[in-house]
Amino acid sequence: MIFSRHSFRLPLRRKFPEQTLLDKQLSGNRPLLEIENLSFAYDGSDSPVLEHVSLSVREQEFVMIQGISGCGKSTLLRLLCRLNAPSSGKMLFRGRDITELSPPLLRSMICFVGQLPQMIDASILDNLLLPFSYAANSQKEPPPKSMLIDMLRKFYLQDLTLEQSAAKLSVGQKQRLALMRALLPGPELLLLDEPTSALDRESAAMVFSIIERLNRDEGKSVITVTHSDYAPASPNTKRYLLRNRKIEPA
Amino acid sequence: MNEIVAIPLPQLLLALLFIVIAQTTSMVWHLGLNRDIAVGTLRTISQLFLMGYALTFIFRAESLPLTIGIFLVMVISAVFIIKGRVKEREVPYIVPTLLTMVLCYFVTALFVSRAVVGVTPWWEPRYFIPTAGMVIGNSMSALAISIERLFSQMRQQRDLIEMKLCLGADYREASEDIFRSAVKAGMIPSINAMMGVGLVFLPGMMSGQILAGADPLIAIRYQIVVMFMLVGSTAISSIIVMLIIRRRCFGSGEELLLTPR
Repeated sequence: MIFSRHSFRLPLRRKFPEQTLLDKQLSGNRPLLEIENLSFAYDGSDSPVLEHVSLSVREQEFVMIQGISGCGKSTLLRLLCRLNAPSSGKMLFRGRDITELSPPLLRSMICFVGQLPQMIDASILDNLLLPFSYAANSQKEPPPKSMLIDMLRKFYLQDLTLEQSAAKLSVGQKQRLALMRALLPGPELLLLDEPTSALDRESAAMVFSIIERLNRDEGKSVITVTHSDYAPASPNTKRYLLRNRKIEPA
Repeated sequence: MNEIVAIPLPQLLLALLFIVIAQTTSMVWHLGLNRDIAVGTLRTISQLFLMGYALTFIFRAESLPLTIGIFLVMVISAVFIIKGRVKEREVPYIVPTLLTMVLCYFVTALFVSRAVVGVTPWWEPRYFIPTAGMVIGNSMSALAISIERLFSQMRQQRDLIEMKLCLGADYREASEDIFRSAVKAGMIPSINAMMGVGLVFLPGMMSGQILAGADPLIAIRYQIVVMFMLVGSTAISSIIVMLIIRRRCFGSGEELLLTPR
């Protein structure tokens, strides 16, 4: 098996007090994430993008939300990590209202990877270690180079070196690198926005196989939105359809 | 030292020849600037005459409320000029800019006229108003450049900022590079001026004093104070204004409020 049980496990030196508190609340067997009656409309717009959306995501689940382009899938993910503010509704992470958590801490636990992968104008190594330069991740140990090289191989990026510039990579390579970077600080929930939309069939298959294995072998909770009709094989998969501003089981 | 030579009206009109040259150039080369040059000429004449009479009145009146009033009019005008140059309408920045400018420039002008030049009373209009005018004029340009740069870069690099936010950056960390480059862009003209002064150009204030018959060695002392004052006041007002505006670009969830145009 390419992905061992320990592929992405990163040592945590010390936890934030808030994070420890969240861990304790896990014992109540509550869902990881609860969305209650979430609605969203853009400023000055009468028609909402999302209306009374409710959803719950349990630990280790692979949630796949499908829907046509422009139906509000990306908006839903953006609301979950507070990149947009909802018009109404509530979101609970481990039973706590997400607005009670400091935004950087929330985003270090619920990591969103955008549709178009963004890289800073620096080496691959600098890009991968970027999250560790932020205060919210300062308690976490940056991974050693040997581990990064190993991970590059597991993300089908074995041809790259850590020292080369990230700017000239293809979109497919950047997409996998962005996913790898998001995983390094050890988020508890991954939000993936159309992770394969800009990719050719081969690269898309690679990315989906990585995500599936992350969920299956690492127990990583994932919510991914896509307009493709890809059917994941993971046993923990839950599929939903977003249409007419509402979410329903597929 | 020589007495100051007053320019008689006919000679003043002779200076209009320079405007004729500018207008001719614009016409011959189809620059489309004739209207602007004409308006600019009329405004220069009327505004300066008006200011000349106003200053004569203020200097004679020696009134504290009048001096402070003029100071406030100057700052408010500067803020409106900044508003005209910065096209941003989504993030409110006028009030913090105005308050910061009033505070910073007042302290600077007060410090220079009282502590450095040592005039009494501290608001002596002959010193306080020109000092404030120089500070306001210089910082106004710096702030307009910095604010415009901050907003445009925030919009252009929205995806990059959001990527950093998603990796756990707070709003300061996510916009650090943009913030720094915007403040620097505003500060560079003042710093460049310190490099070129005396070599490439003689600043207006110093030239004015020399033309008015002052000893050049006295004039340069004033100019040194002015140069330092401009750099210092620009730095402090830029930093404060930009810190406030940057925070306003992000919402309560530290989400970027500026959307791409």
